[in-house]
Amino acid sequence: MAGFSRLAIPLIAIVAILVVGEALSPGFAAPRQVFNQLTVASFLGLVVIGQTLVILAGGEGIDLSVGAAVSLGALVAGNVMNGSDAMILPALAASALTGAAIGLVNGIGVTRLRIPALVMTLGSTGVITGILILMTNGKTSGRSAELLSQMVAPPLLFGISGIVYLWILVGALATFVLHKSRFGYSLVAVGANEQAAAMVGLSVPWIRLAAYVGCSSVSALAGFFLIGYTGSVFVSIGNQFVLTSIIAVVIGGTALSGGSGGFVGGALGAVVLTLLQSVLIPLNVAEFGRQMIFGLTLIAFMVLYGREPKST
Amino acid sequence: MAPSPSTAADAPVLEARGLAKSYGQVVALECGDLTVAGGEIHALLGSNGSGKSTLCKILAGAVKADAGELLQRGRRITLQSPSDARDAGIGTVYQETSLIPALTVAQNIQLGIEARSRLRLVDSGRSRREAVRRIEDFGSTLGIRFGPDDIVGDLAIDQQQLVEIIRVVSRRPSLVIFDEATASLDRVQVDGAFALLRRLREEGKSAILVTHRMDEIFSIADRVTVMRNGRSVGTREVRDVDPAALIDLMTGAPADAPPVSRRAQGSEQPILTVRDLSSDAFRDVSFALRRGEVLGLGGLQGQGQSELLRTIFGALKPKSGEIEMAGIPGAPATPAAAVRRGLAFASGDRKRYGTFAIRSIFENLAIARLAQSRSPLVSRARLEPRLMQSISGAKLKFGRLDDSISTLSGGNQQKVVIGRWLDTDPKVLLLDDPTKGIDIRAKRDLYEMFSVLQEKGLAIVIYSSDATELLEIADRILVINGGHVVDELKDDRKTEFELNAAALKGA
Amino acid sequence: MTVDVPRRRALNVPRSPLWLAASLVVLFSLASVALQPTFLSPRVLQSNLSTFLPLMIIAVGQTYVILGGAIDLSLGALVSLVNVVLVTSLQALGADPSFAAIAACMGMALLVGAAGGAVNGVLVGVLRLQPIVSTFAAGIVFGGIALWIMPQAGGSMPPVYAKTYAAKLFGVKGATFMLLSLVAIIYLISRTRFYIYLLAVGSNRPAAFQSGLPVMRIRVLSYIVAGLFASVTAMVILASTSAGDPLMGQAFTLGSVSAVVLGGTALSGGAGSAIGSMLGAVLLGLINNVLFFAQLPFVYQTIVQGTIILAALAGGIMVSRR
Repeated sequence: MAGFSRLAIPLIAIVAILVVGEALSPGFAAPRQVFNQLTVASFLGLVVIGQTLVILAGGEGIDLSVGAAVSLGALVAGNVMNGSDAMILPALAASALTGAAIGLVNGIGVTRLRIPALVMTLGSTGVITGILILMTNGKTSGRSAELLSQMVAPPLLFGISGIVYLWILVGALATFVLHKSRFGYSLVAVGANEQAAAMVGLSVPWIRLAAYVGCSSVSALAGFFLIGYTGSVFVSIGNQFVLTSIIAVVIGGTALSGGSGGFVGGALGAVVLTLLQSVLIPLNVAEFGRQMIFGLTLIAFMVLYGREPKST
Repeated sequence: MAPSPSTAADAPVLEARGLAKSYGQVVALECGDLTVAGGEIHALLGSNGSGKSTLCKILAGAVKADAGELLQRGRRITLQSPSDARDAGIGTVYQETSLIPALTVAQNIQLGIEARSRLRLVDSGRSRREAVRRIEDFGSTLGIRFGPDDIVGDLAIDQQQLVEIIRVVSRRPSLVIFDEATASLDRVQVDGAFALLRRLREEGKSAILVTHRMDEIFSIADRVTVMRNGRSVGTREVRDVDPAALIDLMTGAPADAPPVSRRAQGSEQPILTVRDLSSDAFRDVSFALRRGEVLGLGGLQGQGQSELLRTIFGALKPKSGEIEMAGIPGAPATPAAAVRRGLAFASGDRKRYGTFAIRSIFENLAIARLAQSRSPLVSRARLEPRLMQSISGAKLKFGRLDDSISTLSGGNQQKVVIGRWLDTDPKVLLLDDPTKGIDIRAKRDLYEMFSVLQEKGLAIVIYSSDATELLEIADRILVINGGHVVDELKDDRKTEFELNAAALKGA
Repeated sequence: MTVDVPRRRALNVPRSPLWLAASLVVLFSLASVALQPTFLSPRVLQSNLSTFLPLMIIAVGQTYVILGGAIDLSLGALVSLVNVVLVTSLQALGADPSFAAIAACMGMALLVGAAGGAVNGVLVGVLRLQPIVSTFAAGIVFGGIALWIMPQAGGSMPPVYAKTYAAKLFGVKGATFMLLSLVAIIYLISRTRFYIYLLAVGSNRPAAFQSGLPVMRIRVLSYIVAGLFASVTAMVILASTSAGDPLMGQAFTLGSVSAVVLGGTALSGGAGSAIGSMLGAVLLGLINNVLFFAQLPFVYQTIVQGTIILAALAGGIMVSRR
């Protein structure tokens, strides 16, 4: 399949980083260490699934509010649970609904009011940040239930943590939807050629709206599980995911112009980013070096994939 | 550098030898030869897809040739970009203009040659005056309805075309190329544009005129080069030929092959009725379409035919009038609603309205069916045989169904774009210039596909820029001119002569 | 003669929603006057101007990139980079440097900004990479270099640098002088061929190419211009903070995009104005000002601010589309 060669680049990158990491600090590529990395990557990985949905739907789709959705999802979950195991499911539902509401607002802004996605999601980030500050008063707030923390971070089965299984599950579900459902076919059609999609009778606005709702919902869920990992919530807990999720999508070979790509690539992209960040730590590379390597790697990936057509 | 022996005052202004260009597997131009003398208006004639547009784009520097050479006054030149062509004194007027919508008329006319002050800043006052002078000098005969400060994006399409003509011609290129630039102009405007070309000719300059209109060639051109299937097949002095001879050259076969006779139509209830339909692009269009009937829309390009089809399909909103489909009144509000009522649409503008270029052939075929489906899941195992069955008559040539649709030739892409509807069981198929830019064999395949559909009772409304095609496949033809239906041609009046006469009548 | 046809534009509402940004600026100024009686005093105006000026300058730079149909998400990091380069080099001059030495440092700062812009220009204009991600990636690298030069905020500056900026020249302070220069530069740029070509490229790139414009050079140049504005922003900030900070530019990236959009420039390119972006930046500052003096409880400030900005962004885009 054409999709396979696209995955080769991040796969090679993963192997390369593991080899280099193992050479520099023995034990880096040991299973236990790799599983730990996967646990860290899974939160980003969930957000990447959402970001991929929005980017696949095309029309310059991008979601800069995923970070705020993670934070708000985590905050809502933390406050609903407040340490109580019994409230885990209600907290999950509240988180997901919060995400869906954010996605609905973004999606309506983009599809109905036709505000560019970059502007709309940047603007909604400001509003959500305001809500976060209002709810927390700027302090950490809410607590994870003990049971949730047990399920998320520590090894659950075969030394792999629960969140990784969940990530795989959600990713598999999303991949199934993309390749086997009418929605999946419609989504890439809308992303590939919006006018042709309208001409075969697809409802472009509804499909895009669904992508935004899906994106924010998955992001808020990532927040729900993130609180199981960190225990409590601070306002900026999700900020790290905004641009990393877009980068992971690009590394995974999904075109920012929409209509082409998938979730497996995005997952590999999340792993590449996580490994890249951690391989630099034992090296005692200073922050500046990490940043520079990070940025240059990203540029290298961009050069490998996506050049825009020449303007003829 | 020593001048080569052929460099002489009477050497051709421009000579193209064996130019070739392919896009992937699609050969757009196989062997383009053209010689333009000084002070000559040279017509370039050929059906759609004959390679004349590609040849022009190479001469304009917009496309780089894969092979062949270009000589200017006997000296070899290479054109890497449009600015190289401009520096070589070649100006091109495109059909789809290269104007900048956000800028004013004056800014567009002066684009690239703005007047500057000593500080190298743009002297906008002087620039504007210069533009006004050019508009007055070259626009007086053109029937312009714009001022120098109008934003180009706000102008009607014919007015934009005139701005482009003034922009290019007023720079006095030694060779000007009109690439079907008269298609959106009315008679008076065309005459005005030709007056400009004659004026250039008197100054010893040359022009290449790409056109579909035979009468234009005979009214202004000195020589004509005919292209067919990507090759230049002959150059003639215009005074030595007649239209029939040119058509022979174009088609490679004797002209006036009798149109295929069609069987008589039943007298059933109409399946699609359009009454007094009006929008910005067309006015008071009425017709009734019966099962199995092929209704042609004729006339010059851009007379509202395309908008009419898209309005019936629910992609554009009508201003007034009625549409009744299978007894149900009311215009469909969206394409989705139109599809539910049994309409299907395919455009010759494949890139824009047809293909999902980065997706597979299978997805491109399946999408119309899926858009109709209620099931949330897609069973490829069930879908694939059905789709293959429904397009089995199309002679679709492809490698694997999972290959990207861009690996197909234009003709095969178009078979997919039309074929995707066959499994949705439409009642009426709307075709907007469906064979634009595809080769003759694929055209034949498509015609066969249409006639099979027709026998199954499907009705077709087709607009085509190719008169021969329209005459061949349509049972009757509504000729549209300036948005109005000016004539209906059927039976013994369905001839190329009547079609041309009606298309040019009263424009 | 057709040329005398009445100008159609005069009859329509201006297509750029500049007037929307302008009226919002007036509205929030009135609100400021109501809440803060001293708002119109020269001292307060001067101090507000000093606060708003950095975002105004960087927003103007961002405008030229966006007008060309691209975006620059590295500008904040570039401001940081120029800032630390400038601080480090000024520091090396000692306590009492000559004006020529300071001027040389500032020249170097301009070069750094132009070089950063050139990097973006090569990525987007020459290599034709997608602007959002490639400029963001370049921004990460710029930020890394800034951290390398100066790992922590700090540094001490020759006092003469800030003093000169604060001093009055012909009766106007440095910030006012900068504002006037900014307007003059915007005017000069709007009179260049580059500016018209930039609008052409942003409005319809294929048509600009077919018209024979040097599309690649124009796109590269637009990033270099933005980089130069980033340098000036860093200089102005340094004059009021007198210290270096490798992270200080962060807020400017998205802040500049917001100001540009608020000022009526279309993200799709080809339409808008740098003056509008200045108004957008002023508006963002005034919103903060009003919220501060409205004595809104701190916890409400961000949400109210975010809502106003989102409404203004959405409103501006919808108005401009009519």
